Order: sequence, then C-alpha cells, then structure tokens
Amino acid sequence: MKSEPMDAAVIASAVAGRKCSAVEVVSASLERIAAQEPRLNALITVMADRALERAAFIDRQVASGGDPGPLAGVPVVVKDNLCTRGVRTTCGSRMLGNWKPPYDAAVVEMLEEAGAVIVGKSNMDEFAMGSTSEHSRFGPVSNPRDPSRVPGGSSGGSAASVAAGYVPIALGSDTGGSIRQPAAFCGVHGLKPTYGAVSRWGLVAFASSLDQVGPFSRSVADMALTMDVIYGRDPRDSTSNERGRPRFAEGALNPSVRGTRVGIVREFREGVLEQPLAKAIEDAALALGESGCAMADVSLEESVTFGLPCYYIISPAEASSNLARFDGARYGLRMDAPDFVSQLLLTRGAGFGDEVKRRILTGSFVLSSGYYDAFYTTALKVRKKICAEFDRAFTSADVILMPAVSSFPFKKGNFDDDPVGMYKSDLFTLPVNLAGLPGMTVFTGLERSGLPTSVQLVAPRWQDQRLIKYAAVIEKKFGRSPVATGGCF
Amino acid sequence: MALTFETVIGLEVHVQLSTNSKLFCPCPTDYVGQEPNSFVCPVCLGLPGSLPSLNARAVQLGVKIALALGCSVPRVSRFDRKHYFYPDLPKAFQVSQFGLPLAEKGAMPIFLGGLKKTVGVTRLHLEEDAGKLLHGTPDGRLSGASITRVDYNRAGIPLAEIVSEPDMSTPMEAREYVLSLRRLVRYLGASDGDMESGSLRVDVNVSQKCSDGRVGGRVEVKNVNSVRAMERALEYEISRQREVLLSGGQVYRETRHWDDSNGSTRGTRGKEEAQDYRYFPEPDLPPLVIDDSFIRAVEKDLPELPWEKRERFQVEWGLSSEDASTLSERLDLAEFLEETVAHGAGRGSAANWVKTEVLRILNETGIETDALPFTPRSLGALLAKVDEGSLSNTAARGVLEVMGREGLGLEEAMRKAGIVPGGVKGDLLTEAVREVLQGHPEETALVLSGSDSSGKKRKYLQGLVMREIKGQALVGDVSAAIDRELDLMKGFRE
Ligand SMILES: [Zn+2]
Repeated sequence: MKSEPMDAAVIASAVAGRKCSAVEVVSASLERIAAQEPRLNALITVMADRALERAAFIDRQVASGGDPGPLAGVPVVVKDNLCTRGVRTTCGSRMLGNWKPPYDAAVVEMLEEAGAVIVGKSNMDEFAMGSTSEHSRFGPVSNPRDPSRVPGGSSGGSAASVAAGYVPIALGSDTGGSIRQPAAFCGVHGLKPTYGAVSRWGLVAFASSLDQVGPFSRSVADMALTMDVIYGRDPRDSTSNERGRPRFAEGALNPSVRGTRVGIVREFREGVLEQPLAKAIEDAALALGESGCAMADVSLEESVTFGLPCYYIISPAEASSNLARFDGARYGLRMDAPDFVSQLLLTRGAGFGDEVKRRILTGSFVLSSGYYDAFYTTALKVRKKICAEFDRAFTSADVILMPAVSSFPFKKGNFDDDPVGMYKSDLFTLPVNLAGLPGMTVFTGLERSGLPTSVQLVAPRWQDQRLIKYAAVIEKKFGRSPVATGGCF
Repeated sequence: MALTFETVIGLEVHVQLSTNSKLFCPCPTDYVGQEPNSFVCPVCLGLPGSLPSLNARAVQLGVKIALALGCSVPRVSRFDRKHYFYPDLPKAFQVSQFGLPLAEKGAMPIFLGGLKKTVGVTRLHLEEDAGKLLHGTPDGRLSGASITRVDYNRAGIPLAEIVSEPDMSTPMEAREYVLSLRRLVRYLGASDGDMESGSLRVDVNVSQKCSDGRVGGRVEVKNVNSVRAMERALEYEISRQREVLLSGGQVYRETRHWDDSNGSTRGTRGKEEAQDYRYFPEPDLPPLVIDDSFIRAVEKDLPELPWEKRERFQVEWGLSSEDASTLSERLDLAEFLEETVAHGAGRGSAANWVKTEVLRILNETGIETDALPFTPRSLGALLAKVDEGSLSNTAARGVLEVMGREGLGLEEAMRKAGIVPGGVKGDLLTEAVREVLQGHPEETALVLSGSDSSGKKRKYLQGLVMREIKGQALVGDVSAAIDRELDLMKGFRE
C-alpha cells in the first residue's frame, strides 16, 4: 500500500469496493507528505486531522452501503488560493495572515461531495503572481524532478504534490499559465478549462476575466475523472456557464481522433524552443498522425507578438482592483495606526511582496485617467484580435498542438532581478487565457537528466473534452507520468 | 446696469430599491434597527473569493422607474468598478454602472402652481450601497477617545441613481422634482422613498450664470437629508454664489457640505483634487442584456403614473388643480377614490369625501387605505344615497362613523344608527317641518314674504328639517312638505 501511490480511479474503486479503507489511503498520503515536505515545501498547510476525520466518514459511508462518490477516499491537494471553511487560506501572502474563510470554494465542495479528501493546501506564488513558486511568504517550492530547480508557478505546490506522489490529483488556478507551466516543469498533466467551465466561487481572485481553476494529474484518466466532478455552471459565479455535459471519462477511455485535424503553429517551429521540447511536439504530431489525424498549418502571429504586453496590462489592471480590498479593516494582516489611511498604507506596505506590489502599481497606472485609453482600452482591442485569431485557426484545425514552455525548469533564483524575463516565460500559455480557451499540458516523457518534456493542446471554447481525447492518444504513446523519486527512495 | 443671475440646478437622486435581498447577494434588506453586521455574507463583506450575482428584481424595479420616466433602456448595459479607499466600502470599489447605464434620456413633469414644467432625466443606473460608519467611544459614552466602527448591513443594498438634466432654476422647482420623483417611486412600489431613513438621498448641483457672461463653477452640495434641507441649502448656496460673483470673485467647482444646524455650506476640501476612480468593466458580471420581452413584461406592470392621474382628475373629472394634486399624491388613496366611484358614488362627492373624511382618518391614524374600517364599495354605496338625495351629508357622516367604529357594512350601520333612508314621510315629516318653521319665525317670515331671493333661508330651514329627522327623508319629500306648510301658512295669513 505504501510503496507506490495509486491513481484516483484505482483508489476510488478500491475504497468503494472495500478493498482498502479511505483512512489507509489518506494515511499513506500524509506519510509521503511528512517524508518529503522538508525537501519540497509544496504545502502551506497540511490538513492531517480534518483529512483523517473525513476519510473515516467515507469509510463509514461505505460500510453503511452509501454511495461514497466517484473520488471516494482520494486524497487531493488544493492551491492555497481556494477557500476552505475554517482552514487558513493564505494565497502565499503575509497579507491574509491566518485568515480562515467562513466558506468553501465551489470546487472544494464538489470534490468533497464526490468523496475526495483534502489533505493539504499548496504553496504558490503570492496571490498567484509569478512563474516560479518562489514568491511565497512560506518560502520557495522545489521541483520534485530536480530540487535545485523551481516547479514553475504559480500553482507550483500543486504540481509538485502530484509529481511527488503526495496525491493523484491536485487543483490549481491558471491566469496566464499557472497550471500548464508548472505541469510542464514538474512532468505531470495540467488542464486549464474553458473560461467559465469551472466555478470561481471561493477562488481568491487575481485577474477575474482570466482566472480558471483546473486539475493536475499523472494520468489522463484521473484528469477526466476530476473534470467530470468540477465541470459545470454554478449560479454563484455569474461568469460560469456550460455547454452540455461532456463525459470526460468516456473520452479518456475511447479516444477517437481519426479524421481530425491537428494545428501546428507556424511561429513556434524553429529556434524558439529547447531542442527536446521541440522534439516532443514533433513526436506528439507523429503519434497523432499515426492515430489518423491530419496536420494543419496555423498561425498565431498576433498572439505571439502582442499577447504578452496585452496580458501584462489586463491582468495587473484587474489585480490592482481585486487586491484593493486588503486594507487591514476586516481580516488578515493589520498594522496598527492612528487613522484609516495610515493603517491602509502600513498594512499594504507590509503585507504584499514585491512582485504583487509591482503588479498593483502597473495595474493602477494603466487604469488611471489619461493613460486608460493608451493602455487598457488598447489591450482590450488586442484581446479581441487574439480571440479572432484563435477562431480563425480553429477553422482549419480541431485542436492546436503547441509548446507549453520553451525551456526546462529554471534554476532557483534565476529571475531574482529580472521580472520581465520571468514574464516572458508565459508566452505560450497566456494567449490561451486571453482567448478564454481550454488548454492542457500533456506529459510526454523524462529526459535522461530526469527533466520532463511536454506539449500543450488547445481546443475551441467548450471543447474541453477534446483535450482529454487527444491527451489520451498521446499518453498511450508516451506513457503516463511516473512519480518523481527525486533519487531519495 | 445691475447684474442679473440665472440659477442652474441639477439633481442626483439615489433611491433604495424595494427588493427582498441585496443587489449581489441573498442577504435581506430590512436592516433598519438590526444588530450591526448581522445581515452580511461573504459577498457583501467583499471577502476574498466571493463573487456577485445580480438580483433580477432590482433590475426589474430599475427598468420600471426608467420606463415611467420615459427613458430608453438599451439592450446591453454593464457594471463597472468605481475605486476608492474608505472603510465603509468592503471591496474598495463600488459596483456601479458608469459607461453603459441601465437607462438614458427620459423626462418627468413637475407642477408649480398648476403650471407644468418638464425636467429632463439624463440617466438611471443601478449600483450598490456602502456600509455605515458608527462613531463612538469604546465604552459607548459620548465623550472620550473616539473610535469608528463599521456596520456592513447596508453594504450591497440596491440603489437606483437618477440623474436629472440641469433643467431647474429655483429651489421650489428642485423641491417639486424631488417630491414628484418620490411620489413616482412609491406609485411604482419601487422604493419607499423615505428621505429620513435614507432610502431617498439627494445630491444637489447648483451654479450661476451672470448677465455679464460669467459662469460660476458647478457646486455639488452633499448631506441634504430632507426636502426642506435641500431648499435651504439651495437658497444659501445661490446667495453665496451670487455674492461671490458680485464682488468680482470666482465660484470654483467643488463639493460642499450642508450643515443643517447652522444653515450653511462649507467646502469639504481645501483645493479640489480630481478623484480618479479608475473605472473599468466589472469582470465578475457579464454584460446585462435586457430583451424586449423583459421590457414588455415590466411595461405591462406599470400603473397609471401620478402625473397622468392628476391630469385625468383635473381634465376628465373636473376637479380643481389642488384637489387633483391632493388626490393623486398617494396611489392607495387615488385607487380608493376611483373604486369608490366605481361603486356608485359621484366623482365630485367621492373626491370631497375622500379628501376630507378619508384623508382625515388616514392622517389621524397613520394607517394605509387597505386598513381602513370601511371599503370603497360601502363608501361608494353610501355616497350614492347622498347623491340621489335619499341621505343627507350629516346622516351619511353618522353612518360612516358607525361603519368605522363598529366595522359594519352599510346596511347594518344604517340600521345601527337608526337611519332609514327616505323612511320619514307623511305625517311624521309634516310634523318635523312644522316644528322647524314655528321654531324659526323670522326666517319663515322672510321666506314667506318672498324676499329670500337667493333661497338661502329656505335652504337653511330645509337643512334644519333634515337634521331634525336625521336625514331620513328624500330631499324632494322634504322640499314638498315645506312648500305645503308654507302654502298653508300663506293661506292662513291671507
Ligand atoms: Zn450579503
């Protein structure tokens, strides 16, 4: 039982079939966490007591003949920007202090409803701003494939938790690549759903028009299982929606892609990527070709050229607004001061880290009168063009195959004095957020160095299940993501 | 040549919409008198991770007011975030409609001394209210170190902001505008329009145009908490601005604060710094799409508007301007009146009775018309008897009183009051007439001599007879009996 972490699907049927207990599974997960956390720092809060209680509840449910749900006894980790009732939710920031939300995020409710057991809250770049998971009040996260390297960000803790085998499934959030980039860096699958496909209720907002919650997993089957649980409209999130009820699990089982067209992005062909990542694209294309897909040439020129500046106007603008509420008056950190304005200034000065301050300042600037049209209005126009460009691309392709990242994971401390360098690493992921599309990083293998390769699949809006199908085909060819041993056991 | 001035007044009125729940969350809205921070949730506290969901009822009421004001309601409107830091604003932004308001370009008639004037309405938009600061001391005493607490019960209450065109030129017009708007929202059931409790709030914009071509800056006056305060603030501000201009000074564009206790306004900032609210579209709410069927449904729900009613009372019913205005002030009263007429009362007598008897009871008891102890049906039937002459006004008043006191229907009340309409006739009636004539020889003599040309004395005598018999005779019968007795007396004298 303790030897090898199991897939979610395996755990759920074992627990439901009383082949093993949820308490055993969760205990094993907690042991792995205890053993590796000193090295990885992937979790901000380990919820051992609550998790064991919850597992015992599921065992009782099974014993009394109840339906424990499709994720019965499956230990999961959720990013620490997802609210958990009564459990501290920090966003990796000093600002929230030990704030304990009075409510659960919608996805937390849905996971628990499905029988999953939350064992921990994962470390992250403060308020999800960053691509390395180094910008956390709780210290940097290490990459389980190579602890001298970053796991990517901002959902680095969730990606690392799955790669290290703490849990088969973790949730992250993706605003400009915060699921897909750490998935690529940690060698796991990571899916950012269509904007609006998964409820944001209880996700502490970074940039509301871009944020989406999505899963990490080591197998496509587990990814599908999780999507079946969290996908769908939530009346508490007015931007959420749904188009039918796709059956993700079925798509993973019977991935028929024959006769479809895979778009290969012209601009990403040569010179942009580290060689093994470029090869991963080629190999994936070959595999899809073998499964009956035709390759199509598509262009994302505008996304490549203007996506980055557009994103770095819209996302800080929304962030500056979303983060304005942290004034020390109601919750979180409060610096004592004789009046409201001094309290506001002192609290925000002490509570936010440099990267967050940088984005708040940028955002306030681009929204201020006199600059608004030059920056914000222009960015909105560019965003429309990027959407249109993807729409055009999807007239000649059913899915787009492109890189998620251009390099292997960075060494820690690489971007300490180069924030723009870090921003640039989001080049392949953020256009997908700007267009509101579903995108998935699919693990394609480990190099001899132990570092992972991957590809990114992008589908039209509301075609999230298409990602699962193509990913299943690729997974068949390249194998599923193995648990990182990190050389220590 | 002496300088003359023209005053330009525009008003921004916030009305609290009568919804059961707040604009973006399910919290209840009847927070007045409740424990501070008892009607709150993650959404209206702006807790991290919370998201707004728009209250459809608020949209409905907003559209209702807009349609009544003749505004156009565009198919798509949008919510924006208006940013500023203040402890009563939990998210540090207010969700409001800035770029694309719910409705635009309407107008409302106001009446001054019977004359009608139309005031333009620039726009109507929806927004959320903020919390309330409670200043006090830690131990609740009035003196000592002060602390400020915040009550978020009001945070997120739905407001409609109605912005007028600068079409008014006197405090009187501003007053009529506010009163008309209040009457309207009450008619529509869209708001209780109560200024004292803050469900209707007014910000005043006032400026001066001088005959020498100079134009004073527009001054916004805040903190006017009653219609009277608004008039006083305007009067003060108009003379202040004129004095400044007369002395060759400049009126600066600024926001001033009305101090009701010393009757003056004061500048709130040393120098006016332009607030930058950094508006941008609220990304947590999709654009608000209002289709034709929604509009049609709201339109169907619109009552006859107060000014339409007033005009109909005046033109069709022939009521005086004053009566028409009094009787259209409250929708429930106007409807009571119309139902009374529908149940047989004449328009004139119904109007008279409603504006005197009914209104008196309402004012004395403070109840609504639906709590009156009699129905428009019974009042209508009662007044029909008065109109046909089978019951005197006096007798009817007595019956109404019994109906009110005992809660009885018309027939029963008349029985109880011992009144049988037209029941006194023949000898009984003759007896009563004789008694009155004999008791009032002077008046009788005057009538007999034919010098009562206006018929006043005769009417007086007739009234006395009616009183004597508690109005229980047909007017025609009484008149005939008097004639008969007078003839007898004439014959006797001849
Ligand atoms: Zn609320």
